[in-house]
Amino acid sequence: MKQLRRAFLKLARLFTNSREEAELAREIAAHLALLEDDYLRQGMSPEEARQAARRAYGGVEQAKQMHRNERSYQGLAQTLRDTRYTFRQLRKSPGFTITAILMLALGIGATTAIFSIVAGVLLRPLPFPAPDRLVILGDTLEGSSDMTARPRAAAADIRNYMRDTHSFSQLGGYQLTSYDLTTTGIPEPVHAVRMSSEVFPALEVAPLLGRTFTPAEDEQQQSVVVLSYSLWQSHYQGRANILGATILLDRKPYVVIGVMPQNFEFPLVPGHMDRSDLWVPLRLQPEEFLAGQAASWSFRMVGRLKPGITPEQAQSDAERVALATVQQYPAFMRSLRIHAAVRLLHEDTVDQARPLVRTLFFAVVVILLIACANLAGLLLVRSIRRRREIAVRLALGARAATLLRQAIVESMVLSVAGGLVGLAFAAAALRLGISLLPETLPRIHEIGLNWPVMAFALGLALLTGLLCGLAPAFAAIHTSVNGTLKESGRTGTTGSGHARLRSVLVAAEIAIALVLLTASGLLLRSFEKMRAVDIGFRPDHTLTALYGLPTYQYATQASIDTFDEQVLRTLRQLPGVEAVGITTVLPSTGDWDGPAITIEGSVPAKRAGLNLTMVSLLRGDPIQALGIRLVRGRTFTEADNANSQLVALVNSRLAERHWPGQDPIGKRFRRGMPETKTPWMTVVGVVDSVKMGSPDERTPEQFYQPVDQTPISEGDFASAGEVNADYGYILVRTHMEPEQMENAMRATVHGIDPQLPLYHIQTMEHAIARSEAPRRFNTILISCFALVAVLLSVLGIYSIIAFSVALREQEMALRMALGCQRSGVLAIILASGVKLAAIGCVFGLLGAVAASHLLRSFLFAVSPFDPVVLTLAAVAMLLLALAASALPARRASRTDPMLALRGE
Amino acid sequence: MSSKEKDQIQLLQGTLDLIVLRTLATMGSQHAYQIATRLQQVSDRLLNLNQGTLYPALVRLEQYGWIKGIWSKTENNREAKYYEITKAGQKALGAETLKWRTMAALVERLLLEES
Repeated sequence: MKQLRRAFLKLARLFTNSREEAELAREIAAHLALLEDDYLRQGMSPEEARQAARRAYGGVEQAKQMHRNERSYQGLAQTLRDTRYTFRQLRKSPGFTITAILMLALGIGATTAIFSIVAGVLLRPLPFPAPDRLVILGDTLEGSSDMTARPRAAAADIRNYMRDTHSFSQLGGYQLTSYDLTTTGIPEPVHAVRMSSEVFPALEVAPLLGRTFTPAEDEQQQSVVVLSYSLWQSHYQGRANILGATILLDRKPYVVIGVMPQNFEFPLVPGHMDRSDLWVPLRLQPEEFLAGQAASWSFRMVGRLKPGITPEQAQSDAERVALATVQQYPAFMRSLRIHAAVRLLHEDTVDQARPLVRTLFFAVVVILLIACANLAGLLLVRSIRRRREIAVRLALGARAATLLRQAIVESMVLSVAGGLVGLAFAAAALRLGISLLPETLPRIHEIGLNWPVMAFALGLALLTGLLCGLAPAFAAIHTSVNGTLKESGRTGTTGSGHARLRSVLVAAEIAIALVLLTASGLLLRSFEKMRAVDIGFRPDHTLTALYGLPTYQYATQASIDTFDEQVLRTLRQLPGVEAVGITTVLPSTGDWDGPAITIEGSVPAKRAGLNLTMVSLLRGDPIQALGIRLVRGRTFTEADNANSQLVALVNSRLAERHWPGQDPIGKRFRRGMPETKTPWMTVVGVVDSVKMGSPDERTPEQFYQPVDQTPISEGDFASAGEVNADYGYILVRTHMEPEQMENAMRATVHGIDPQLPLYHIQTMEHAIARSEAPRRFNTILISCFALVAVLLSVLGIYSIIAFSVALREQEMALRMALGCQRSGVLAIILASGVKLAAIGCVFGLLGAVAASHLLRSFLFAVSPFDPVVLTLAAVAMLLLALAASALPARRASRTDPMLALRGE
Repeated sequence: MSSKEKDQIQLLQGTLDLIVLRTLATMGSQHAYQIATRLQQVSDRLLNLNQGTLYPALVRLEQYGWIKGIWSKTENNREAKYYEITKAGQKALGAETLKWRTMAALVERLLLEES
């Protein structure tokens, strides 16, 4: 207790030092006066008395020092004095101070902003207790590559894994879906999750209100629902009596049994928009185990490992179940081979975001390094300017440690100030920037300036200050007292050691900036290449909208067909309309998967994998509406209906793969594996390959079918009562601006079904822009960083060259007095700048090559060693360096030769 | 070295605090010079003490909250800082005295047994 009180006082007295000193001086003076009085009384002369008093008292200075040591922390007090001194010094040179602080703020701010993304997306543990025990369980399918990355499950897997594995304390399946929620009037779509009852206990999150579902409710197909906090607030005003209320999902009543807490989110889907609104029991339906749906891996499974079980053990446990599952496969699935896969939920969540975030972090670290190098350079320049002052202090007996501390304090003050301003920058950037983040990042709403991020920023600032301060500090210590003092004011070009250090700093900066500049060049070129890709259709003048017909209203295929035909007929009659069609898959939306196909006359090699394709079901003239070019043959007509021969259009990719060098027209193929019983379809036309995702993605092998022929072509896969094309994208090609069609399209659909909502009404050009967004984001971001890096390094070159010019003013004046031309002086300075830049560029190019593996996954149709980009970047850097040295060079060439003669 | 100086003793680490506290408890409020004089009197000049060395002890005790310094006038109308013991100081004095006695007794016993 007493020690605590004392420590506090010792700290407090750091700040009242001058008052304490005065008090001490007064006390000592009083003490001496009393002593003197006594000696006077003993009969001494005033002079003797004063001396006797001093003797009796002992050393006044020693006593003072002892008092200081006792009353407060002296190391700290010294540092505090250094800090005050630094503040005074910095106030005297505001230009330097502001430059340094802003530069650091930029570096630290950018790094902090990006770190907060790293922390929010990659590092934060999942918002569930013991998240490292949560795993995703699913199948990988031999021959299908995209399931390797994200294991999925079919309905039978959910049943089998839940029943037969022993490694999970809880395990359940889930599937994202959407329902029409009716509150008042028009139904609106909500994001819903069908989920096994065991998933909530596996996640170990308790509901805010009420309860979650029980296994019995799942098995008995009870219609109960758990709401998300946001839906509860937005649609039910957070009413507490919501429990037990009935809500309408797809016009069917569901009883609300619980509300989840505000921060609950599951599954952790990327982006802002698609957070789940409600959860219903999984309630697997009998048809989901049958026919086509049995081979549909449209579910995912999540589980909590039992204590002591490793993911590997769980995987081999599940593999056993997977083998048994395969044995029970119906005849038409015989050739499918699945394996169980167990991955940590955290891995699964952040997987896609990792490369982007890592690259961003790399980019900002580079910026920070450049800012540090600049600050170190500036500080070095300052310490050279103060060389005489330092030499005098050394000569008067200042200790090296004192000088070192002072130099580091100076750079710390700057870096902490920079860090604070940087934090403000980061906060502003995050406020603006989060909405611009691509939709591929998960857990975006968890990004923010929280304590760990702030601690990171300040830690970074301190580290920066320490590192930046070291160079000038050691330069200061190594000041040669004799040499400096003997120079007697001549500002010659001595201190070559410092000059070398400065040159190294500048060259390093240029090298680092060049690495970023090349990266940005490569990304820009990738973007340009992507824009130049032939997407296979004409997106102009085309409007699209998505609809989904609810089963409660459109239960039969006939009712769906009637609706579709009516929409097509009405739209065709609108003025300005060129072509109208409906398709089940829209190009450039990116989500597709489709059936395997078997080609007539081709014997698949053993273990060749599946011929996975994608299929679009067409009605009307979507090929014409999208402007997809017909390469050969014909498109579908009214005659291609349920009663005629089965026909298909294939894209040129599929044609080239299976019938290379042959005319594909008249060839036959069918859905499914060889052992599946499906009827043959005849190819009647070949169309250009269309990009289904963003233009830089792989083009799938694709075929098109008339909707009416689909059930027949599915053979064994078709399940009884299944309906086709109960959803679709309406496509309209017009003569006018497509935006002008929006209202007409809405009115048409509402005229047919007033309750049916239309989603994603947009022009095709807009849809493409959306598919390009992630790449555009990466490119813009890295380019911004490159710009900042280049600016900083140019600033670095400028300040160093300008300073050395100032140092060499006399030399230049002397040269000119001796007859050197102005152009000669100009050349000397420019050459020194270019030399640094050239060295930096060589190292920068080496660095760019070393960093290429980081970038490779972001490039499209561009080699990381693209000679054009490398050359352009290097040349640009050299020119910028030249420009940065031009200003000081001009100033040097204007030096008055008289200066040399007038100088000291 | 003169014989007088040889007889003088150095204070043990930490004992000065106790002595100052005891002095203030006995004598009431005192300034630094009075404390020094008193110590010399009591120790029969055995204690060699530069008066300045009192200051660290005074700061320490003040920061513990055991004594308090107040500026005032001497009878000769000179100003001086008078220290007086606080309530916490009184309590601490008891505890510290006990500690010292225990320690001294222990050392004494040890010396007796070993001789």
